[in-house]
Amino acid sequence: MSRRPPHLLRALDEFEAKQLLATYGVPVVAEARVVGVDAAVDAAREIGYPVVLKGCGEAFAHKTELGLVELDLRNETALREAAARLEARMQMRTGDAHPCGRLLVQRMARGQREFLAGFSRDPVYGPVVTFGLGGMLAEVLAEVALRLAPLSQADAYEMLGQTRAAALLGPVRGWPAVDTGVLVRVLLALSRLALERQDIAAVDINPLVVEGAQPLAVDALVLIDDR
Amino acid sequence: MKPLDALFKPRSVAVVGASRGETSTGVPKLGTAAMRNLLEHGFRGAVHPVNPKESELFGRRCVARVSDIEGHVDVALLVVPAEACMEALRDCAAKGVRAAIVMSSGFAEAGRVQLQDELLALARGSGMRIAGPNTAGFVDFHHPFAATISMVGQMQPFVAGGVAFITQSGALGGSMIGRGMEQGVGFSHWVTTGNQADLTAADYLDHLVDDPHARVFALFLESVSDPPRFLAACQRAALAGKPVLVYKSGASAVGAATSASHTGALAGSHAVFGALCRQYGLIQVDDLAELLPLARTFAWLGSRLDLRQQRARRVGVVSASGGICGVAADECDLAGLQVPELPPARQATIRRLVPEFAAVRNPVDVTGQIRSSATGYQDTVREVLADPAIDAGMLLVTMAAEPRASFYGREISALADAVEKPLVVTWAGPLSLAAQGHPMLGAARVPVFESVRSAARALRAVDDFGAWQRRLGDSPATAGARK
Repeated sequence: MSRRPPHLLRALDEFEAKQLLATYGVPVVAEARVVGVDAAVDAAREIGYPVVLKGCGEAFAHKTELGLVELDLRNETALREAAARLEARMQMRTGDAHPCGRLLVQRMARGQREFLAGFSRDPVYGPVVTFGLGGMLAEVLAEVALRLAPLSQADAYEMLGQTRAAALLGPVRGWPAVDTGVLVRVLLALSRLALERQDIAAVDINPLVVEGAQPLAVDALVLIDDR
Repeated sequence: MKPLDALFKPRSVAVVGASRGETSTGVPKLGTAAMRNLLEHGFRGAVHPVNPKESELFGRRCVARVSDIEGHVDVALLVVPAEACMEALRDCAAKGVRAAIVMSSGFAEAGRVQLQDELLALARGSGMRIAGPNTAGFVDFHHPFAATISMVGQMQPFVAGGVAFITQSGALGGSMIGRGMEQGVGFSHWVTTGNQADLTAADYLDHLVDDPHARVFALFLESVSDPPRFLAACQRAALAGKPVLVYKSGASAVGAATSASHTGALAGSHAVFGALCRQYGLIQVDDLAELLPLARTFAWLGSRLDLRQQRARRVGVVSASGGICGVAADECDLAGLQVPELPPARQATIRRLVPEFAAVRNPVDVTGQIRSSATGYQDTVREVLADPAIDAGMLLVTMAAEPRASFYGREISALADAVEKPLVVTWAGPLSLAAQGHPMLGAARVPVFESVRSAARALRAVDDFGAWQRRLGDSPATAGARK
């Protein structure tokens, strides 16, 4: 992640982060940012159950640690109960009686294979694009390939093959081969974003879940440097 | 004329701080060493000693300041204390000196950042380029021009060849280049970059890519001070088909801290540097002792083969020792190489050349009995390397005393000329018993290693270089740049 002091950086909320990535051609999970439980129910009906409900806001960059993620909600009842729990936790977190109540309703993506992709800025070499094993253990496993932006297509393909993440790209354990063309497009998109948006200090797409053969950004963090 | 031609190939040189004699501890003064090295390593241009306390040095008229020199001066060598440098440099700039090599230390590396800033401002303001400060060696072996205060100057003669060695550290650089010459490495250039106030490793690399004598680049870096320029220079080297080998210190946090305080530059993240090497086709060496022997491998193999086209992934291993054959198979595997089984027809042919109990699948163990046949060894190696399933050869010599050592020396030298694939040798036996045979290999430009691992890594590096050169064409970054 960025080496700059974290207090100088501002995180986009998860919805904005993925909207930005989507404009660069990154496939993102279907989701809606809403205020209030009723709007969440409407959104879930449109997206289709099961859904994931998350507390959404700049103050909630580390949602899992804050208990602001409710997974696999299968119907309206489950959604309403989860929303009540989230509101309570968000109030605790902000000390505000009405913490603007932003909720993120997301289609529950199904996939066992999780990767991460992103970029950060090295103080010497500049923007560095990352690809590797994702999920909760990503930082522990540290199976990542790095390349300086700008990336060529050949660079991106090489990154996919460089680490042990490669073992999960082929047809394995009954899962189909991952659409690596999409992964390459994601890495090239990150490279472009790093060069075009100097105000972005870092991007983390984690997990990049593979649903069937298709990679999909399920969570994303975009750190803005306002200096 | 390229901008740095005057620096590398001067016709006239002033040595500011030239002196005679030794210090109280018996070591030549820096001003003595600079003069002696310049004169004893064949510089053919004019040499002007500058020292207000002397009227004559090394048989040459000595003047008080650079402005007193009659005639033009291309390059000034500075071996005066740091405090005296600015005045001398202003004098040089006024005289129209094209470039200065500041060997004096006591600038940013010693915390005197402001003094170094002044030096840089003078370079920018006057257009005079400045190498260093805190540089110990600046040698063009073919011009020849040996500007150095390093004790390596005591080696006579310097071995000229195709390796351009760029290093940040003067003391370590000097020891490496000396050892390198002992190992038969021939050099085209040696540049110690010092503090890189004005000229950086990227500038030197960029300039030397166009020098026909510089065929292989060996870099020892502590930091990369100007990554975009450095990468652009690396890309030009790649397009010129010249391999760039690099050892970078700073892998450990302690190493990085030492490097940073050493040169006053910020050492970048090591993992990113590794990525950069993959991306730009640099061959990263992770054992410093392998850097120059590997450069020699490229220079020597490159004198026979077009390494841009070369593959070395599938290795044919030949030895008279079953023990080292097993080691070679392991080390090839570790280095990411293959030792494929030879096709049955080839095995049958080889079977007729070797004793009946020899192993012929690959590795080929010709056994110690091979000496009973005068041509058996050479014919066997030729057969192995003739097979389309084999890209390169690794020959392993174990216990070989004279005259057997000379047998190997002769046979392998002849093979290197005959086969059109890369051939490397590991000589594991005592060199004192191979006084004639072992040196024959170096004389014939056959890369010879003491360790099987180094030989395997060398072949891997050759294969990586070829793979990178083949990939250059389809990289958008270079597409169009290469015709």
